[in-house]
Amino acid sequence: MRPGQVKELLASALGVEPRETDYAACGCHLRLELAGAQVVDLAGAQVVDLARLMKVEGFFLEFITAVDFDTHLELVYSFTRHQEPLRLQAAVQVERGGFAPSLAGVFAAADWQEREVYDMFGIVFAGHPNLKRLLLPEDADFHPLLRDFTPRPEHGGDVVNLEMG
Amino acid sequence: MLRKTLIHDTFYLNLGPQHPSTHGVLRLLLRLEGERVVECQPVIGYSHRGHEHMAQNRSWLQFLPNTSRMDYLSALLYNHAYCLAVERACGITVPPRAEYIRVICAELNRIASHLLWFGAYLLDLGAFTPFLYAFDDREDILAILGEVTGSRLTYCYCRFGGVARDLNQAFLDGVRAFIPKLRRRLKDYHTLVSKNVIFLNRTKGIGVMSPEQARDYAVTGPNLRASGVNYDVRKAEPYSVYPELDFEVPLGEHGDCYDRYYVRLLEMEQSLRIVEQALERLPSGPIRAAGVEQEPAPPPGAYHFAYESARGQLGIYLVSDGGRIPVRMKWRVPSFSNLSVLPELLAGTLVADTIAILGSLDLVIPEIDR
Repeated sequence: MRPGQVKELLASALGVEPRETDYAACGCHLRLELAGAQVVDLAGAQVVDLARLMKVEGFFLEFITAVDFDTHLELVYSFTRHQEPLRLQAAVQVERGGFAPSLAGVFAAADWQEREVYDMFGIVFAGHPNLKRLLLPEDADFHPLLRDFTPRPEHGGDVVNLEMG
Repeated sequence: MLRKTLIHDTFYLNLGPQHPSTHGVLRLLLRLEGERVVECQPVIGYSHRGHEHMAQNRSWLQFLPNTSRMDYLSALLYNHAYCLAVERACGITVPPRAEYIRVICAELNRIASHLLWFGAYLLDLGAFTPFLYAFDDREDILAILGEVTGSRLTYCYCRFGGVARDLNQAFLDGVRAFIPKLRRRLKDYHTLVSKNVIFLNRTKGIGVMSPEQARDYAVTGPNLRASGVNYDVRKAEPYSVYPELDFEVPLGEHGDCYDRYYVRLLEMEQSLRIVEQALERLPSGPIRAAGVEQEPAPPPGAYHFAYESARGQLGIYLVSDGGRIPVRMKWRVPSFSNLSVLPELLAGTLVADTIAILGSLDLVIPEIDR
């Protein structure tokens, strides 16, 4: 399968247009940005449709992660295939403390990946069967990968300030 | 009455977090019906140190020593992967000699990691002798790598644009002596273990993972290849000098514990081949790229790098705003996905097989917890 084929497929099945990126420079063939305005109602479902399509086409879900851009969070889904180098990354904008649909019903791998994202960023995955803390203690009340998070002694361990020159 | 309840009710068995066969701090909450596992719930996070949070607190260069502390059994591979990821993002070209040196060291580290797994797995299954042999072999590698890296476990040998120091004569002599020695030993291992009837009975047909299951859970590495799926990042998304080297990707057929064992043993042979060829072709020249900034930072954007670690596909997702400090660094660690499939493999098996299945996945818990 070639990036062009996936592009056509996504255009016809979902009506979305991924951008071709330079694999040699960034390690990714196709990047799909779903705009912020669509998030609340449309894009949510679009991610699930995308995942279903990816599964049928023989992709596997490498990871789900998020990036904090201060104003919003960006959820990143990475799909790739065993057969040839072909990576598609989809980015969805989510509000801080916002919701996203769970992919746990499509890819079993999404179960733990989403739990980790919830743990670290506080994004709530609607429809997740078991959205609990994964890496942090079960009674934790913070999300440490948000950029405004400051470690405090009560979070456990010693707080060390790294002086950045 | 009491006896009846005990027999018919399911009960919980807590395996770990300090159980010797969980290799690190993994806790398995098992719901049992007699000797049968009904449900398994892995509990992780005991060695969560917040590496990804640390990455957002220091410069790209300052994060380098962190890389060898995730998967401490294949530290050099992580070190290598991180350098390759940042170099590609920054557009740094590494001199060929440095890249060959990196591959030689990385493959030796892969063998050391597999050897440790081999010894520990058989120890889990009650065979003590192979453990001693495996550690004897592994000790040789640690001594050889110590010659150039200066460390035994948490290597930090790669630098952006090259390696810290050149190979010395003791390293070269050590590797040349080690290759035939391990080849002889691998033969011994096959006679001692691969055809051992007790071992066969404990691993054949146990913990079968189908290729579909493996894809669903994003399982990679030897665990995936044991199920017959030909996916090795060194071949699928070639990086470094691997395209110039001749090696095969061993595959299993049944996806059971035995195949996972066998694939790893064959992989050691292939790694030896890689080391042998790389030594033969080792070019001369500089070991550090000229004109690399002391603290390079990738231009703004998102980057992904896939790498074949000893346990599977390692993915590094970098987001940079062009500054000294990364915006985000996601580590897609192979053991994370490889552990997530465990509940499915364990359902319906015997408790004694739990150890055989768990061990066969070659998990490193600090890598999962990060």
